Amino acid sequence: MASEAALPKWASEPCIMGIDEAGRGPVLGPMVYGCLYCARSYQMTLSSLNFADSKTLKEEKREELFENLKADESIGWAVDIIDPKELSAKMLKKNKINLNEISHESAIGLVANVLNMGILLTEVYVDTVGDAEKYRTKLSGRFPAVKFVVAKKADSLYPVVSGASIVAKVTRDRALQEWVLDETAENMNRNFGSGYPGDPETKAWLKNHIHTVFGFPTLVRFSWGTCTPYIKDLAEVLWESDKMDEDSSCGKKQMKLSSFGVTKSKRKSEEIESSGKGHCKFFQARKLEQLTYF
Amino acid sequence: MEKGTQGSIILNGGGDLGSQEVADLNGQVHLLPCVIKYDGPCSVSDYFKPKSTGMEVEGLRLEEAHFRGRKLEGATVSIPEGYCGFVVGKKVLGKRKAADISEENSNCWEMNAIFRDITYWNHDSLPSHDDAFLRSFHWLAVAKSMHKPVAAEDLAHASTALGKME
Repeated sequence: MASEAALPKWASEPCIMGIDEAGRGPVLGPMVYGCLYCARSYQMTLSSLNFADSKTLKEEKREELFENLKADESIGWAVDIIDPKELSAKMLKKNKINLNEISHESAIGLVANVLNMGILLTEVYVDTVGDAEKYRTKLSGRFPAVKFVVAKKADSLYPVVSGASIVAKVTRDRALQEWVLDETAENMNRNFGSGYPGDPETKAWLKNHIHTVFGFPTLVRFSWGTCTPYIKDLAEVLWESDKMDEDSSCGKKQMKLSSFGVTKSKRKSEEIESSGKGHCKFFQARKLEQLTYF
Repeated sequence: MEKGTQGSIILNGGGDLGSQEVADLNGQVHLLPCVIKYDGPCSVSDYFKPKSTGMEVEGLRLEEAHFRGRKLEGATVSIPEGYCGFVVGKKVLGKRKAADISEENSNCWEMNAIFRDITYWNHDSLPSHDDAFLRSFHWLAVAKSMHKPVAAEDLAHASTALGKME
């Protein structure tokens, strides 16, 4: 966090900023939002720095450009690293937050931070996520004083976005390289590969790190379609929170102790938790049920 | 009325001698808001990593953990005074033929471990005293009052109270 005193001289000049993301598609690792900003008067120089869409650059070139822009006093940058645990958790909430919303919120957070630092942002260029016009309206609504340009392939159209894409991509790559797994089981390795679902190294890593009960390490985005084929090999998990939606419609029934051979119940339906059905309100509200077979 | 089966639970320390040390599972018993259709040993502590959030709500110290990609919010609570949590297992009845040990004739249980606290987890809602799990403990106080023998004093009080109402 830069303090007021550390603000560059050009901060009070009209400034432009680019925002781009890295790691949206991968099945594992963080998603990173990066931004890069500078005075509008520096725009010409920026174009000469050979930033290009980070995906078209070799890793060493990206690293080199990142080091250059970090050293450049006419440029400011920031990142938002979104932990895969957070991505999974948000996308698997009862009220699911989709990846577009998460992305939008991250970008909004970056703009807010830069404005709060005291940088006079007048124009912000953003690579689109979802419908460009809706996204632009959302951003303009939040920051009426800023002009937003939301476009497809903004990372190859605007140097300031190309710069942001380098910041994001390098940060994501380094974060994955240095990732410390939460899990402490033996026989785990860090050969994640790129994290993209099609990468053979990533596929092999997923296959080797599957766990019957826990699924995958928290590095993996459980909500990704790529995980689905593996999930059939796992122990089935039924959630109380899912059950409420499905209760009326389909036959996903709960299990109770009886299914584990603890009791012998005459009742046909299995239930996860006692419902207290048929008892007085005191027991219903507390989900208490008398167990006569034990 | 549903008819119960006969059975017994031995809570005096398990094993035939009844003097064996019983495992204490304090801080290791978790109640998850889901059913895991798996029964067997599992390296729980390598994968399940509850962390304190440093927040406290209604006197409950909040913890968080992740399971199968979902964020769980939980709290550790003591088993109410005068009660204890037990892990019981079916008692192994010597070397009898497997066929004889059907559920009917081995409804005999023994204690494998005890616990005095439990961590319960919610998905998508902060732990609170409104949670059914915490409220279920109310029954213990109600049951105690209901089953307490009525003393002459109580009757006297009750009739005085009734007298006042009239």
